Amino acid sequence: MFNQHILLKINFLGRYSLALLALFCSIRISAQQELMLHALPDVWHSTSTNPAFFPEGKKFILGLPGIGLDGAHSGDVSYRDVFVKDGDRTVIDFSKVISKLDFTNEAHFDQRTEIINLGIRLPGKIMLQAGYANRLSGVLVYPKALPELLWNGNGPYIGETLNIGLKADVADWNEWSVGLAKQFGPLSIGVRGKLLTGVSSLLTDPNHISASVYTSPDIYQLSLHTDYGFHSASIIEAIDTSNLGFDLKLADLKRKAFSKNTGTAFDIGLKFKVNERITLDASVLDLGAKINWDTKANYFLSQGDYTYDGQTFPGTDIINGIDSLGFDLALDTLNDIFKFNKTPGEYTTKLPLRGYLGGSFMLSKKWIFGVSAYFTHRDGAKNTFAIGGSARWSPMKWLSLGAMYSVNRRNAANLGMHVVLKPGPVQVYFASDNILNAFSVKNSPAVNLRAGIALMF
Amino acid sequence: MFSKPIFRFSLLLVLGVAAWQGCKKSDFENAALGDHTAEFAFPLFTTDVKLKDLLLNILNDTLSGDTIFINPDNTMTLFYSGDVAEKPATDIFKFLESGIVPLSSDTVVNPIQAPNGVSITQATLKGGEISFIFSNPTMDTIKGNFGIPEMTLNGVGFNHPFLLAPGEQNKVFGPFNMNGYELNSASYTITFAYAAYLPNGTKIKIPLQPNGFPNAFVVFLNLKFKYVQGYWGYQLYELTRDTIEIDINQTDLRGDIKIKSPKVTMRVRNSWGFPTRGIIKYLSFIGQNGEELQLTGTAFQNDGTNDYADFDYPSYIAGEVGQEKITDFVLDETNSNIADIFNLQPVRLVYEIDGVSNALLDPDLIGFMTDESVLGLQMRVQLLLEGSAKNFGAEQTLNLDFGEFGSLDSANIESVEFKLVTENGTPVDIDAQIYFWDAAGNTVDSLFDGGGQKIMNAAPISAIGTADGTTRTETFITMTAARFDKIRTTKTAVLKAYFTTAQGGTVPVKLLADNTAVVKMGIKVRKRLTGG
Repeated sequence: MFNQHILLKINFLGRYSLALLALFCSIRISAQQELMLHALPDVWHSTSTNPAFFPEGKKFILGLPGIGLDGAHSGDVSYRDVFVKDGDRTVIDFSKVISKLDFTNEAHFDQRTEIINLGIRLPGKIMLQAGYANRLSGVLVYPKALPELLWNGNGPYIGETLNIGLKADVADWNEWSVGLAKQFGPLSIGVRGKLLTGVSSLLTDPNHISASVYTSPDIYQLSLHTDYGFHSASIIEAIDTSNLGFDLKLADLKRKAFSKNTGTAFDIGLKFKVNERITLDASVLDLGAKINWDTKANYFLSQGDYTYDGQTFPGTDIINGIDSLGFDLALDTLNDIFKFNKTPGEYTTKLPLRGYLGGSFMLSKKWIFGVSAYFTHRDGAKNTFAIGGSARWSPMKWLSLGAMYSVNRRNAANLGMHVVLKPGPVQVYFASDNILNAFSVKNSPAVNLRAGIALMF
Repeated sequence: MFSKPIFRFSLLLVLGVAAWQGCKKSDFENAALGDHTAEFAFPLFTTDVKLKDLLLNILNDTLSGDTIFINPDNTMTLFYSGDVAEKPATDIFKFLESGIVPLSSDTVVNPIQAPNGVSITQATLKGGEISFIFSNPTMDTIKGNFGIPEMTLNGVGFNHPFLLAPGEQNKVFGPFNMNGYELNSASYTITFAYAAYLPNGTKIKIPLQPNGFPNAFVVFLNLKFKYVQGYWGYQLYELTRDTIEIDINQTDLRGDIKIKSPKVTMRVRNSWGFPTRGIIKYLSFIGQNGEELQLTGTAFQNDGTNDYADFDYPSYIAGEVGQEKITDFVLDETNSNIADIFNLQPVRLVYEIDGVSNALLDPDLIGFMTDESVLGLQMRVQLLLEGSAKNFGAEQTLNLDFGEFGSLDSANIESVEFKLVTENGTPVDIDAQIYFWDAAGNTVDSLFDGGGQKIMNAAPISAIGTADGTTRTETFITMTAARFDKIRTTKTAVLKAYFTTAQGGTVPVKLLADNTAVVKMGIKVRKRLTGG
């Protein structure tokens, strides 16, 4: 049984380390703002930040794959803090991370993968667009005690109550969009409707979010408390706590373009050309965005209070030889404590609402200066804001380079950059709001980058 | 001419590298958990031991007569008792039971058959039979009756008719049930008489046989007496010889233990209706090395040869027939050398006692006995568990069950640390060592290096020596994996404990029945975890 308990720890660690892996993966692939792309309205994929954006002078555009990554972790935790080279292999090592963690830690991650999209300029200054993208968005809030317990065991935390309840709001969905933009003189207005088809989701229940472990300083009696519930669609099939295991049975995560978990969202944007030099823009994205998860949707709930005092037996039986002095671990009942009851149940997740404000000043044909602001609102999480100023230099017709200084909640000194290449009809770009992190993602606590390619005619 | 394409290509390459750097599937997909050490802490067991239970076990209580008595104030008294030696009076004093009385004349007066020194004046029978056997040597019919004038039933004398035909031989009359008959004879004699008549009314004595034997007999068979009264003279008889084991001093280990007030009590329960004296032929403790430790004192009297004690008895004169008298002879520190003897931790008490009736040779003594008169004698050693002890040793074999620990793959265990916690509500310190035995009884290891450790500190004591609260003692036992490997496969542990009463055994304490010690243990295991 002791073996099993050790295995429990390992399994537990292993399973949750997958979640932590995802968390740090998100650091690697995301950022908490996306100002740089927004400052490049002539880049086709910037239309994802404002449906009123449409490259001037282009009649037909074929957007090829592009990826936008945005992630941040509170504190100063980077990929390399967790994934450590050990000879020719990479191992997971929490020893350096734990000391860097705050009491409560947050990780945000957003990933947008443009698969394909089209843009057509029609007569009458009407622009149509349609596209298909994959999106992943999530936030994890976890206490420091969770990795501490998983990594160090409960031995170093005797006398402490370790609250290990993890909050998660993660969703992965497809986005089918159709948009229309119309130019009214200096004003362009764009709207975009989106059909969302959910791929997978994990959402903890804010009413059942507590789980704690207390190890008594007396003889290490364990007090376990759990009132923990979460919704899952197509991620976790079952949690097997039998035989002291803690085995998460993951669902088959084959991505399908369509599913019965559907929702809708709307983007609206405008661009106002004040004069030949000054342009203003504003957009709100994912208005009313939510997905109803009613296929393969389940609710998992674990509730129990349990104190394990070890074996108790009358001393008389021991000294009389009737019973044995037992050192066994009677922890079978953990199965009953942590047992998650699974019940089918549909639920709804609200997706984060985003918005942009921007303005640009064209000093010359080679120099453009701009300001951009970005906000995100997610239910149950703090709103995030970012603002930045940019300069863009186009030394050649097919090349532009740019830089941006931006401020957000976690960092007052983000130096971004972009490169746009336009060899012929090809448009290739790379942009990041934090160039230092973009090229050292494994050593950075926050990362933002965007890259893509398109054909424009 | 080639600079432009090369530059464009270079920029594309940079972008590609940057994108790959940011987006590639990392090697973490195959990452294993880094080797590290984690520490797990679990409780193992909790048990509580009441002092009463512990003492009973330590004392190796195999004698059924040994008892711990819980006094009203929760103090405990330990009794070691010898067998109760019971002597029914009827075992020693046997009266006429069966026999034949030839009647050579028509009236025969015999002394009542009784043990030496006893003369019966009154008795009540509860069973048995009497018969008369007559032969008629004449040619006439003989008619008559026979009787025992000292015996009456409800005021009517024992008298029965008989009729003998001419020449009739060995005709039996009876048997007559004697249950309920009373015998009264101030002269300690019993009379058998018959009256025989010929048909013409002539009273005759039945002629003797030619060889001189009589033709009339009285046969009594299995007469049983419910009550006998008379004179009891001096008579000596054996009462008991027995041995009492003093288990408290028979553990394998030794130490200094002082019992504050040891007592030996001889209790006599007597329903014999005459004075009996117990002659103390032998009363000694046997020491640790077999030496005799004679118990002497003023509790008994001495006749110049032996100590003796006169037992109380129910008095005929006082109308105490059927009663039982109890006499306790107590030898304690005030009237004997028992305290000194117990400081030497004797292992057993041996005693031999005889009885003497009417030791004072009272010629006017009227005594009695009934069919239920018993003299019971029991020796008892009484130890109030109040005293002091220094390193008093006890040994206990415990069964071990390491459960899953027994089959644990300990390859990655770095060390274990047991935490032993005691919460002691007894006024006793305990130093202990545990020896772990393999199946063959060989010592594999011990719990503590370098001898036992104090695992339990005595509770604070009050002014009267009782435990007043609890004392918590924590002991940490760290083991290497190799040592733990050896121990966890054992199935038997031998606990050797040394008890010292509070304050180093310098003051007497009272051990109360409800004094409880809680013993509990947890474990920390440091284990190397590898991701493979």
